[in-house]
Amino acid sequence: MSVYPRIDREPVVITGVGAVSPLGAAFEEIADNLLAGRSGVRSIDPGEYAREPVQFAAPVTAIPAPHPDACGLSPESFQELGRLEQLVLAPVAAALHDSGLSRVAGPRIGFVLGLGAEHLKTWELDFLDGGGRVFGDGRDRTLVHRLARRLGIGGPAVTVAAACASSGYAMSMGRTWIDAGWVDACLVGGCDILSPTAIAAFYNLRALSRRNDDPAKASRPFDGDRDGFVMAEGGAFFMLERQSAARSRGARIRGELAGVGMSSDGAHMVIPSTDPVQAARAISAALVDAGVDPAEVDYINAHAAGTPVGDVAEAGAIRMALGDATDGIPVSSTKSMSGHMISGAAAFEAVACLVAIERQAVPPTVNLERPDAQCRLDHVPHVFRPRRVRVAASNSFGFGGSNLCLVIRAAA
Amino acid sequence: MNASPRKPAGDQAGCAILGHAFVESSLSGLAALRDAPAAPATLQLPPRFLRHSDEHTVAAVHAVLVALGSMPQAPSFDRCGVVAAPCQAGRMMTARSLAMLKTDGAVTVSPHIVPQCSLHSLAGAVSVALGMHGPHLGVGGGPDALAEGLFAAMSLFQPAAASGCEAAWLIVTEWASEPELDATGAAVGDPVCRALAMLLAPNGPTAQESLTLSLHTPAASLIDDDGSDLVAFAEAIEMCGSGSALASWTVTCPWGTQIRLTRRAAAVAVPRRRPASGSSPLREAA
Repeated sequence: MSVYPRIDREPVVITGVGAVSPLGAAFEEIADNLLAGRSGVRSIDPGEYAREPVQFAAPVTAIPAPHPDACGLSPESFQELGRLEQLVLAPVAAALHDSGLSRVAGPRIGFVLGLGAEHLKTWELDFLDGGGRVFGDGRDRTLVHRLARRLGIGGPAVTVAAACASSGYAMSMGRTWIDAGWVDACLVGGCDILSPTAIAAFYNLRALSRRNDDPAKASRPFDGDRDGFVMAEGGAFFMLERQSAARSRGARIRGELAGVGMSSDGAHMVIPSTDPVQAARAISAALVDAGVDPAEVDYINAHAAGTPVGDVAEAGAIRMALGDATDGIPVSSTKSMSGHMISGAAAFEAVACLVAIERQAVPPTVNLERPDAQCRLDHVPHVFRPRRVRVAASNSFGFGGSNLCLVIRAAA
Repeated sequence: MNASPRKPAGDQAGCAILGHAFVESSLSGLAALRDAPAAPATLQLPPRFLRHSDEHTVAAVHAVLVALGSMPQAPSFDRCGVVAAPCQAGRMMTARSLAMLKTDGAVTVSPHIVPQCSLHSLAGAVSVALGMHGPHLGVGGGPDALAEGLFAAMSLFQPAAASGCEAAWLIVTEWASEPELDATGAAVGDPVCRALAMLLAPNGPTAQESLTLSLHTPAASLIDDDGSDLVAFAEAIEMCGSGSALASWTVTCPWGTQIRLTRRAAAVAVPRRRPASGSSPLREAA
């Protein structure tokens, strides 16, 4: 296995965070819930068209209207937007506001939106609302451009998709643009929305847990009794900028996006490869990119969604990439509490890494009652573990064999 | 269309086009390609690989295979990435699924709709079809797909991208005109789907003329856009590559950045290491 050589660069740091999730929207609320091991999974109304037995998920129960300064919308006008637009705009505006750059948005700020099925969801929501856009011959501009205009972001704006790794790819691309000098700052992240078609499709794919009797226990990554993942909605966004720029304007630096590693299995459109080489390659590449040795990693936020095949494959990839250091690195899957936010998962799990760094504690994997012997890792079951965390790695894997690892480091 | 090269304002990045193909196929023609993709003899696709694919993916894989067939030597795919920028892919299958969801419930929703009809699907299919290990991602998804795809593909080659890409396919797809669908999700008529596939690599010294793409941030007064029409862009690649009078083509992104296609003259006295017999024109993995 080989990885690309490290490039010396000025650190790109995170100066703004915004989220909307089943575990809350404010950073402190999310941190409290993650460390308390609270689950956002609950029973849901399966809807008029859902005739399947899965009747639970991890929904966003409240989308806070963003500060008018950050998006130019009154709370009343915000409520008139479609739900998908609300789910994206709220955390984007929050990240912009949190960074302190909302007043200077312009041509040197970019926007990368990780969103894998914008059209599918837009057509579906319109259809379920009685519309017929999916049958028509129109072409609509994508959400990223509409939001960029609304927020006064005049720099590059692109939607990217890599299935469940989408928002991680968005973070990677934004960092590249900053490093290349194409933008001074970049909003990056991703979000997703629950929909009947998505739940039915994943159910029919046999990818979802079917524990209707106890939804909060349904998401059980690495557990021997896991039976699939739990659908969720929400995500997170970040403002990225050069460390020197952030320091010169006195911005609060929450952490550094220190490393990125990417690869593809090149094997199957749906099933992750049982050969861990390519996933391990992404992890190793991220560590090399960040300039850290495996033994310097203090926490791994696993992709582990709770599928029988995926969790085993990831455990193998972690062990292959980190070697002997594996046994000394705590690993947890916050999807056990948040569910799987699909396009938004990688970004939300980057928030979990920031939580670990800020609170000096590793969030737990809840429902991990009987660890799968094939997933031999230093698990953190049930309750958080106090730990000095300076370097956190976060894995994301997706359909089509997408592999991504992000390394987030404490601010220097 | 520009008949003469213009002085770029603020060159920022560039990459070379190593190979390309533009294909058009009717919906009925895509059905045949789905069953029997025209793969070069040296390449074997997984059996029935495209049976659940969206029409854009079928067209895209076909374009990649045609491009590969026209290249004298197949490149190494170990460090090859894919950027795919479809415009409204997956609409027919989504429409069919929604129509059936309404009448027969969730049990009828295809398990393939998310893996095969999302923005990432096209890139994933090419990555899997060719067994590539570089990153793959979907980009755009709407009417600005060409500009977004070009911009995203070029960012993969920036040193900080950490992509490890030594080459990347960029594929842009669209319906010639967005088809109208009936109540069951079937297309009215026999619409035509287009795909442009380009194999890109970072610019390097070369002793041969080559087609290049470069990014520019022009002053507002210098903006001279040739348009983002996919057919016109594909024709521009052909014309620039054939040495005709056309020397450049400029696509302007929605945010003002321009991406310029030009024919680059051969560099003089570029030292080259002779490739080993049978080796790939792209560097093998370290």
